Amino acid sequence: MTEHQQAAVAGGRRSAWREIVADFSRDVRTYPFGWSKAMMWIFILSDLFVFGGFLAAYAGARMAATQPWPDRGHVFSLTIGGAEVPLLLIAIMTFILISSSGTVALSVAASHERNRSKTAALLGLTLVLGACFLGMQAYEWTHLIHEGFLPSSNPAGASQFGATFFMITGFHGTHVVIGLIFLARVLLRVLRGYYDRIGTWEQVEVAGLYWHFVDLVWVFIFAFIYLI
Amino acid sequence: MMTMTTVITGIAFVAVHLVLAYFVFRYSGRQKAEHVEDNPRLERTLLLITSLLIAIMLVPGLFAYSQVIAKPSDRLVVEVLGEQWRWNYRFPGEDGIFGRTDVRLITSDNVFGIDPADPTGADDIVIVGGPLYLPVNQPVLLQFRSKDVLHNFWVPEFRVKIDAVPGTVTESWFTPTREGTYQAACAEYCGVAHYVMTSEIHVVDAAEFEQWLAALPTVAQAQE
Amino acid sequence: MATPAAAAHAAHEHHEPQSFWRKYVFSLDHKVIGIQYTVTALAVGAIGLVLSWLMRLQLGFPGAVGAVNPTNYYQFMTYHGLIMVVYLQTAILLGGFGNYLIPLMIGARDMAYPTLNMLSYWTYLLSVILLLAGYFVPGGPSGGSWVLYPPQSITAGTPGSGLGITLLLASIAVFVVSATMGGLNYITTVLQMRTRGMTLMRMPLTVWGVFISAVVALLSFPPLFVAGVMLLFDHLLGTSFFIPTVNVLGTVLPHEGGSPLLFQHLFWFFGHPEVYVVILPAMGIISDVMATHARKPIFGYKAMIVSMAAIGVISFIVWAHHMFASGMNPFFGYIFAATTLVVAIPSAMKTYNWLLTLWKGSIRFTTPMLFTIGFVSTFVIGGLTGLFLGNVAVDLPLHDTYFVVGHFHLVMGVSAILAMFAGIYHWFPKVTGRMMNETLGKIHFFVTFLGAYLVFFPMFLMGFQGIPRRYFSFDLVAFAPSGLDAVNAMVTVAALAVGAAQLVFVANIVWSAVRGREADANPWQANTLEWQTPQIRPGHGNWGPKLPEVYRWPYDYSVPGAARDFIPQNEPEVAVVSPAAGPEPEGAGR
Ligand code: HEM
Ligand SMILES: [Cu+2]
Ligand SMILES: [Cu+2]
Repeated sequence: MTEHQQAAVAGGRRSAWREIVADFSRDVRTYPFGWSKAMMWIFILSDLFVFGGFLAAYAGARMAATQPWPDRGHVFSLTIGGAEVPLLLIAIMTFILISSSGTVALSVAASHERNRSKTAALLGLTLVLGACFLGMQAYEWTHLIHEGFLPSSNPAGASQFGATFFMITGFHGTHVVIGLIFLARVLLRVLRGYYDRIGTWEQVEVAGLYWHFVDLVWVFIFAFIYLI
Repeated sequence: MMTMTTVITGIAFVAVHLVLAYFVFRYSGRQKAEHVEDNPRLERTLLLITSLLIAIMLVPGLFAYSQVIAKPSDRLVVEVLGEQWRWNYRFPGEDGIFGRTDVRLITSDNVFGIDPADPTGADDIVIVGGPLYLPVNQPVLLQFRSKDVLHNFWVPEFRVKIDAVPGTVTESWFTPTREGTYQAACAEYCGVAHYVMTSEIHVVDAAEFEQWLAALPTVAQAQE
Repeated sequence: MATPAAAAHAAHEHHEPQSFWRKYVFSLDHKVIGIQYTVTALAVGAIGLVLSWLMRLQLGFPGAVGAVNPTNYYQFMTYHGLIMVVYLQTAILLGGFGNYLIPLMIGARDMAYPTLNMLSYWTYLLSVILLLAGYFVPGGPSGGSWVLYPPQSITAGTPGSGLGITLLLASIAVFVVSATMGGLNYITTVLQMRTRGMTLMRMPLTVWGVFISAVVALLSFPPLFVAGVMLLFDHLLGTSFFIPTVNVLGTVLPHEGGSPLLFQHLFWFFGHPEVYVVILPAMGIISDVMATHARKPIFGYKAMIVSMAAIGVISFIVWAHHMFASGMNPFFGYIFAATTLVVAIPSAMKTYNWLLTLWKGSIRFTTPMLFTIGFVSTFVIGGLTGLFLGNVAVDLPLHDTYFVVGHFHLVMGVSAILAMFAGIYHWFPKVTGRMMNETLGKIHFFVTFLGAYLVFFPMFLMGFQGIPRRYFSFDLVAFAPSGLDAVNAMVTVAALAVGAAQLVFVANIVWSAVRGREADANPWQANTLEWQTPQIRPGHGNWGPKLPEVYRWPYDYSVPGAARDFIPQNEPEVAVVSPAAGPEPEGAGR
């Protein structure tokens, strides 16, 4: 009998509700996986509140602003062949980041099969995509700063726009950097066969979880800051 | 409201402490504790009583609050400007309209930052640092502004309190019913001299109030 | 089956014996980290205490201590408030008690992720250093009050509005990072690392309290972090999140369009749950200490857990009761008054259950028990006065008066501190293998408890008179009643006496650690697992080769028919099946 099956069921009566409670309060481990995955989920929940706080603050600052909010289509546009294409760069960035979510998911699937080379290749691809995203974001920042956008003021309207933009995308970018470091470490360990030695590949999944989270948050940032 | 809350909580405080003291002395140093089954009925009863008492305090409290925030119709409007660290007052003058203001226009001669381009501001009456006179039995609506940080205009006898928030206008109202001298103190921490930010308030009869107001120079007169 | 942690542990154990540094300084052992947290927190707490004396001296005997002026009074006030709430109480109850007790109480060898745990302590220490560094920079530390409302906190009219506030905000941000690392460990450890038989419904209430508190902390610190970062941006980068166009002392600042209320919302979304972060572990400790020293099962174990969870949840929807007078939309007043009074219901339930635990018990007047009884008293008065402040119409005249000072000191200041003392006296033998001196402990208790009433009860009366708080002097307050000076002097004397009692406590700790009577393995005859370790001072890894197995809930005290009046959780003979315990787990222990 495994640990998870030893759910302590209160009393003789069984109802769905009771079973859920019993399931949740089984001894030894509440969730049927290692602690690091549980910890990552909890961290994500907490970090979600950080991003939620930033986005709520964004909404508050935007409502309170006395100057008009800048036209994002214009601010975030690329001029290609003389024509202004709104939101082009950011659309590409978003596409890249979402694709990287896909590659990391495939990598996790490969890790379940304990397929070292496939896992590593897909992780490597994810790393490349993430780095591309960062590079494009760096380009966007320099471009905007060049045009006079600063946290304290900007030529397009309310100063809170620049302030929230740099703060929130910067905070997200930091998450991407940390994610890259995390993925790189996992990649190295996959290559060295470390997970085979310790007998669990769960770290790949944990890194994947984090990466999905970073991507998911980006979708919200994209929607709030660039679109709405 | 205050009295009822004091009575209910006071009784609860004494009751709990009596029980606590009784249990502590009655059950100390005994050989063995008695076995007591958990008693969900008792718990439910206690839950019910507590909820009831809370409701008894909450519901009238909310009604009282609705009265606190309902503005009077026949009212004298006074603007109060908090600044580090004194209170300034402004009456709208004959036209009953306050002149437009801008924080950027504030100088030591123009503490409210009244825009000289706005003609409605010329007859405004400004009192720097107080004292403020108010007519008795006349509802007063105070409009608060601040030029720098948060302040809070607190006259204990008037029982109202609201922050003066830079960038916005907040309001509170009351009706002074007794003539006399009162004092406003600041009740929102506003920096190192927060504790000196007081101002005198005189509640007088209507005639005296009119006399006092008429004797004050308007903004235009003060500039000459 | 080998969990990664167990595997890591096995690997780890090969490295023994550890060097001095590894063992006592950069230790991965939760017990050492817990002690590091406790000692550091008590040391900063001592600073907070001294600051309160300086403030009290000025208030009680104005001008008598010439060195206290408005500038440093407000700096003392700011540091006192922040130190007490954050750097002492949060740190000691989660970082100290949480670290030390969780693995021992649930039968684990250590925290889930010991390295992160160690990092949590060192970042906490860094935040303390950043905080104290404020006293060594030009302009001095911030005097922005513990709530740090902008624009005041970062503008020229407040002491330390240059480097001082920068350091303070940095310190807070670092503290949030530390608390997050700690919290992740506490939650994960409780969920995933319990020993065989230790179901959630068999966990001691201390573990429950720390667990729920850690969840609340993880969800409420983020807004503080956000607010701190934004305030730092306003301060350093000239952004306008919280600052509209203002003219401070004659200078128009380069800000426009910010909202001071936005900060208050973010701050109190943290600030209110924060008081529960402090009080929930305190409630847990009180429940366990009380059951042990009254030799009776805690009354309504499930109700206790449910009410703690309810308090945790509701604490997130009451924050604006701190802002009734802030100028926010007055409509919010209705909602937040209602939610606030609702939170009183689970708190009251807990009080009833504590009373009913004492009922028909066999109370032993040990020092920890005295502190526990004191806690119930101060918690009750603090909670009841909270009903004034939560009910918006009653709050408006009381807001920012001394009534508030009395309220929060009793409910979170004194109560949580009493719980902390109860815990220290109770678990001291576990940590050091020696008992604390009972006589000194009783002196400490009576002076602290009665002194606290003398200090804080008069403040309710001052609040009814409308005396505003955060006043350096009341000389200019015309409505101050004539007796105010005498009352203030009395309060100061009482506060100094309470302060002196803490010296007795420190002396007791030091003396007992070296000379105290040696403790038996289970000096209080308690049921919880931490007293069932192979050695009284558990070594690295806590348990012997085999983890303990749990067969019952932690409150089998005075079970009728049992040979002794307590049955430890890991005692297998099925003498009686207690109501909350499930059927026996099958199979042998590992
Ligand atoms: C004997 C013990 C204590 C004494 C004598 C004391 C005294 C004081 C005094 C005189 C003030 C300033 C009040 C004012 O000027 O308005 C104050 C503020 C404060 N105290 Fe204490 N205190 C004590 C313990 C504690 C504890 C244990 C806590 C923990 C919660 C605490 C939390 C605070 C807070 C949060 C403030 C508000 C600071 C602010 O207004 O920014 N105090 N205390
Ligand atoms: Cu003030
Ligand atoms: Cu609160």
